[in-house]
Amino acid sequence: MLITSLVMSLNQLLPVAILLVLLQVVKKQSSLQIGSVLVIGALMSFLYMQSASWVSQWFEHQGLEYSQIGLCITIFIAVLFFALKQKSAAFYIAVISTITLYLSHYIIYLTSFWQNNDAGQSLFIGTLLGSGICLSFSVLLYFLMNAIKHRFGMYPLFTLLAFNSAAKLLVALDLASQIDLITNTATVWDLRDALSENSELGRVLRSLIGYEATPDLMSVVIYSTSSVVFLLLCYVITASISKERV
Amino acid sequence: MTKRLFNQCLCCLLFLSFNAASKEYLIILKDHLFYPSQIIIPANKKVKLLIENQDKTPEEFDSFDLNREKVLYPNRNSIIYIGPLSKGHYEFFGEFSPNTARGVVIVGDEEAQHANN
Repeated sequence: MLITSLVMSLNQLLPVAILLVLLQVVKKQSSLQIGSVLVIGALMSFLYMQSASWVSQWFEHQGLEYSQIGLCITIFIAVLFFALKQKSAAFYIAVISTITLYLSHYIIYLTSFWQNNDAGQSLFIGTLLGSGICLSFSVLLYFLMNAIKHRFGMYPLFTLLAFNSAAKLLVALDLASQIDLITNTATVWDLRDALSENSELGRVLRSLIGYEATPDLMSVVIYSTSSVVFLLLCYVITASISKERV
Repeated sequence: MTKRLFNQCLCCLLFLSFNAASKEYLIILKDHLFYPSQIIIPANKKVKLLIENQDKTPEEFDSFDLNREKVLYPNRNSIIYIGPLSKGHYEFFGEFSPNTARGVVIVGDEEAQHANN
């Protein structure tokens, strides 16, 4: 139970922490804004978790997937908008949607097993360890990305942000094929023997850039296209803003 | 002309969706175990997994190999489509009970479903 809690907390907290750090490096938000976004996100997750059992039965047991696809697309658009315009509203929408998407799973896990025999202590320690690892990773990533930003400008940061948000579209794509909205295409490569998604590095890369060991053709196309569009828009818009300033 | 083309496309889509009826496989989750824990499905065909959680706690169906993730609520049915897949073994597990709730989808030639429980 301890290991499961640790792995669960890493899986669900790391994507939120990574996005929060990347957006924070793009444009620093105040402590009050970060605090409020975390509180609202936690509340939204709790509400989503409360209604999830009911929502799951909508559209012939496919309600959860539809709602999660909506959240993934919202995250991509909000992150893109934040990268382009750096408006606080986009920051709020991106982070709250991400927290709702990932944290709700963890809340379901916590609330289900909290009262289960003597699992409480393991859950608590596992969550504490997982949160600690997430926090350490986030601090390192924050300083690393800040150093890269100062040395090489915004584009490496935009590239990572593009991959990170394109990964949300991959999640949406997997959810869509899970409910037969689209059909899976042929697997392009199989890297399960080289780097499993289940491994430590695989999990970190999955959270960071959406690594998939066995992606299908449509996933590769959507990931590449959305990343390129994201980067092109960032390049064009930031170039036009600098031109206006000159 | 455009209208006729649109109608033909619509007919094709309807025909495809009619033909795309997937074979259904029932999986039951009980005492944090999947029954059957081994499912054999045909290669290059889409199939429908109907998962019934008979436990009192939720579980999360998770598979890195299949790129699938879904919360299974207690006493509820959940549907997950997988495939078309090439031949091989594709593991799945319950993320909340990964030591016990484990299973594998074996993609082979045979269309029969086997259970090893």
